[in-house]
Amino acid sequence: MSEMVIETWGLTKQYEGRGGFRDITLQVPRGIVYGFLGPNGAGKSTFVRTMLGLLHPTGGRAQMLGRPIGDPEARRKVGYLPELFRYQDWLTGRQLLEMHASLAGVARTERKRRIDTLLERVGLSGREGEKIKGYSKGMQQRIGLACALLADPDLIFLDEPTSALDPIGRRDVRDLIVELREQGKTIFLNSHLLNEVESVCDQVAIIHRSDMIVQGDWRRLSDVHTQVVVRATGLTEAVWQQLSSLVLQAQPMDEAGSVADTEAPTRWMVQVEREESLPLLVQRLSELGVLLYELTPQQPHLEDVFLHWVQGKEGQPHVDDRQVVL
Amino acid sequence: MWTIAKLSCREVLSKRIFLITILMTLAFLLFYGVATHYGSREFAEELQQRGGSGGVQMERAFVSTQLLGVGLYFASFITALLSILACVGAVSGEIESHQIDTILARPLRRRDVIFGKYLGFGGLLVIYALGLFAGILLINQTLGGVLQLSLHLSQIVGAAALFAMQPLVLVAAALWLSSRMTTINGGVILIILYGIGFIGGFVEQLGVLLNNNALVNSGIVTSLIFPLDSLFRKMTLTLFDAPSDPFSFAAQGLFGSLSAPSGLMIGYALLYGAVMLLLAFRQFAKRDL
Repeated sequence: MSEMVIETWGLTKQYEGRGGFRDITLQVPRGIVYGFLGPNGAGKSTFVRTMLGLLHPTGGRAQMLGRPIGDPEARRKVGYLPELFRYQDWLTGRQLLEMHASLAGVARTERKRRIDTLLERVGLSGREGEKIKGYSKGMQQRIGLACALLADPDLIFLDEPTSALDPIGRRDVRDLIVELREQGKTIFLNSHLLNEVESVCDQVAIIHRSDMIVQGDWRRLSDVHTQVVVRATGLTEAVWQQLSSLVLQAQPMDEAGSVADTEAPTRWMVQVEREESLPLLVQRLSELGVLLYELTPQQPHLEDVFLHWVQGKEGQPHVDDRQVVL
Repeated sequence: MWTIAKLSCREVLSKRIFLITILMTLAFLLFYGVATHYGSREFAEELQQRGGSGGVQMERAFVSTQLLGVGLYFASFITALLSILACVGAVSGEIESHQIDTILARPLRRRDVIFGKYLGFGGLLVIYALGLFAGILLINQTLGGVLQLSLHLSQIVGAAALFAMQPLVLVAAALWLSSRMTTINGGVILIILYGIGFIGGFVEQLGVLLNNNALVNSGIVTSLIFPLDSLFRKMTLTLFDAPSDPFSFAAQGLFGSLSAPSGLMIGYALLYGAVMLLLAFRQFAKRDL
């Protein structure tokens, strides 16, 4: 079987030429957490629903676990937690899982053990006999997670999996994602909560207004610019103006580390084009009489990375060839 | 497919409307039983007073078929109503609520989902229809007294089969509409189609009575648009027409059939149901969810 669990070539789903997503070409290798990021309405859920055969693509083609999407067999080892999770609320939690186990073709002898394990894993042990209509939203999302994992899937689509969960539930889901990755599963994680997925994603694709802007390894993707915290004496706006060819941005910080306007700052958040510019920056600061106490590189947050790519795209007049693979 | 069928059965059984329908059905049977019992007792007294002349015997036969006919007509009506209410949102409702998403994310063909629903809803409604049919016949046979009809087993089986075919055709039509449009639109269309079918049936009988071809043809056209009335009328003919009886009481009254639906019409009704089901497969397969 191919080591790519998802492959798409120019996959497009649009409604009368608008909305949805267009011309998405991506490859998702086995055993990683793939973050599919974008703001609300970017086309993320439409993409997942197209992959699962719920929507028919208007262009391009795609494969999932080596089979073309649309072939029911492609979904045999796939799990799905939808964003709009609604389950048959006249069933109990256990009845729902039994029904899904049957649909997924889980052997009868295996069902009870697997259901019990999953109920325990998602924290619903003891509540499985209650009707789903009595479940809170968080509990429904948890039973949805259990449903998604019932078939022991190789590929799991999680569409905003923490939207209804409290902070503890969110941490549990993050732990679960990491655990699944360690088991060799591939997780396709749809989210607009960037800081939620920052810690778990190996690869990331960013989609914005139907177009994929960039995809690739998260660490390389995040290498969009270099930020450092500079702590020194003698730093003024005039100094930074003299270094304008080297420094993209310099903002004063207060002692707590947040940006603030002060007359005599000692700490500055400084942005340079490349990491290779840092030795030169140190040299030039020294030449200008600045006494340097600290220079600490900062890892940009996914939010910064996201904004960098999205704003970069919006600055370009044409959408063609904007997609970047890192 | 069987999982979907079981799920559909469970869904109907869990809905309050089903419980209400069962309670109202029992209330109807109780009322019908009381009416049959006292009606037959009064008729028996009248028979005693007027003697057993041929005219009185014919009147007795007419009243007994009409009484059974009205019971079966109402039974057909509530079976149809339950079929429409239970099934018209079977697909559209799940699409609107997104309940169907996780089901279709399983390795299922879409037509299996439709066929599973057909088996589940159809099976349950056939059981309900047969139970109601049996209840009405039982009332006639046990409480009917002088109004009790003499029925052969073959007549009962044939009529029951035709009676049970009604929900099967309706469920197929409901699933097609449900695959195509919203629950409310599908429900309105199906109720109107059902109404057109039955009114068309009456118009056709009236046309035969008045020898009015325009009315007869209108009735035939409505039967082609929605052939449920043909099934009902064929059912009454099968039940009321005794082969040894030189005079058919099935042809008389509001629930009789002056114009008997042919075997071909029954075949058409079956084909109609099959085509509806195929259209539902096709419609559901190509639509975005």
